Amino acid sequence: MKNILALIQRFYLFLLFIALQILALIFLFKNNNYHQAEFIRHSSDWVGNIYSQRAELSEYLRLGEINDQLSLENAQLRSQAPDNYISIRHDVDSVRDTLTMQRYFYRTAKVVNTSVNREKNYITLDRGWNGGVQPDMGVISGGNIVGVVRSVSEHYAVVMPVLHTDFKASVRLGRFGSFGSLVWRGGDASIADVIEIPKNIPVTAGDTIVTSGYSTFFPANITVGTVVEVDDSDNDYHLIRVRLGADFRKLDHVLVVSDILKEEQLNLINQVEEQDAANSSH
Amino acid sequence: MLQTVVINIIRILFLILLQSLVVSRIQLFDGLIFPWVYIFGILMLPFETPRWLTLAVSFIVGLTMDYFSGPIGLHSSACVALGYMLPIVQKLLAPREGYDLTQRPTVQRMGLAWYLTYAGVLTLIHHGWFFFLEVFRFSDFFYQIFHILLSTLATLVLMTIGQYLIYNSKSSQL
Repeated sequence: MKNILALIQRFYLFLLFIALQILALIFLFKNNNYHQAEFIRHSSDWVGNIYSQRAELSEYLRLGEINDQLSLENAQLRSQAPDNYISIRHDVDSVRDTLTMQRYFYRTAKVVNTSVNREKNYITLDRGWNGGVQPDMGVISGGNIVGVVRSVSEHYAVVMPVLHTDFKASVRLGRFGSFGSLVWRGGDASIADVIEIPKNIPVTAGDTIVTSGYSTFFPANITVGTVVEVDDSDNDYHLIRVRLGADFRKLDHVLVVSDILKEEQLNLINQVEEQDAANSSH
Repeated sequence: MLQTVVINIIRILFLILLQSLVVSRIQLFDGLIFPWVYIFGILMLPFETPRWLTLAVSFIVGLTMDYFSGPIGLHSSACVALGYMLPIVQKLLAPREGYDLTQRPTVQRMGLAWYLTYAGVLTLIHHGWFFFLEVFRFSDFFYQIFHILLSTLATLVLMTIGQYLIYNSKSSQL
């Protein structure tokens, strides 16, 4: 009898272990979704608060460096101001400029949490739909591509950065070169890969990779990084290793890019696709 | 008794904050070495803790950690495995006359060799469980083994240093 009781006692612990383990695994596999978890984390006020405070502290400690970055960017922007340009066309008498309209709009945001050492990394920003941020907006830092906003809450946004194995962006080699895709396969947080550039296109280390502007996430010609190595062991395409321009370990201030014409563009594409579908069904 | 409970709760909360605000920010060799020092709070539970309580505490610690880092359930699962194995390892390592009630699983009370075996085995169990569950693919098997061993070593070193910093022989009543 005593043995049986002892057995039950032992068994009961094992049962408890199994029950808790099953509970944990259900949590894990039912929403095995880092960006959902990231979302829960930052919509729940207490954890979000703790992380925001830490971000404030580490930002304070790096104020000097941030100032340098900002003044550099200011100088770059100032040099692009219209006053610095002279007109080389003399045959226009009207100065009302209807030739250009603003397409991209930038908002600043601060990074409150980030990781670089997982397979699927996420970045959290301190600006949500309350601050005008919406899913599928691009995020850049210091003129370099960072990632794309995936989901937003009232005050926070979660960004899928380049350092995420599901990330993909359309890029090109130099300002006029051929097109490829930017992907990341885990590991080194400063290196990503560009694939789908055919082998007949010459690529050398030191070439610049920029965004193509084909997606509605990023304007064209935002820097991605520079080529460090070209691997041609694969069959038809180069495998290009790129040193990313943005330092993901030290992200602080980023810009969120919104495309004003995005809806128009997407609507038009949808319209054409619907027409095609309708035509082919006849 | 009450004092022991309060001390353990404070220690666990402190370690979770330390883990998520400081230690998780340390990135050595692009994440090859990633110590999880918060399990120290579970390892330091007194010997006389009932086994069901060890399991329950481990689950709650894991769940809290999950809210700070990673998908929900990952730390919980690894911690429950740790909490189940903890009393078994303690039993295997028990001195001939058993543990007496004033003993704590610290270097000062049990000796460095005992402590390193105890913490080493349990940290390896936790880290192994955690990292394999996190990646859930065995394609780069040897990289993972290397990753687990180095991270275990890092956790062990940090926890042992912590022991020498926090506990001295006079105040080892904690």
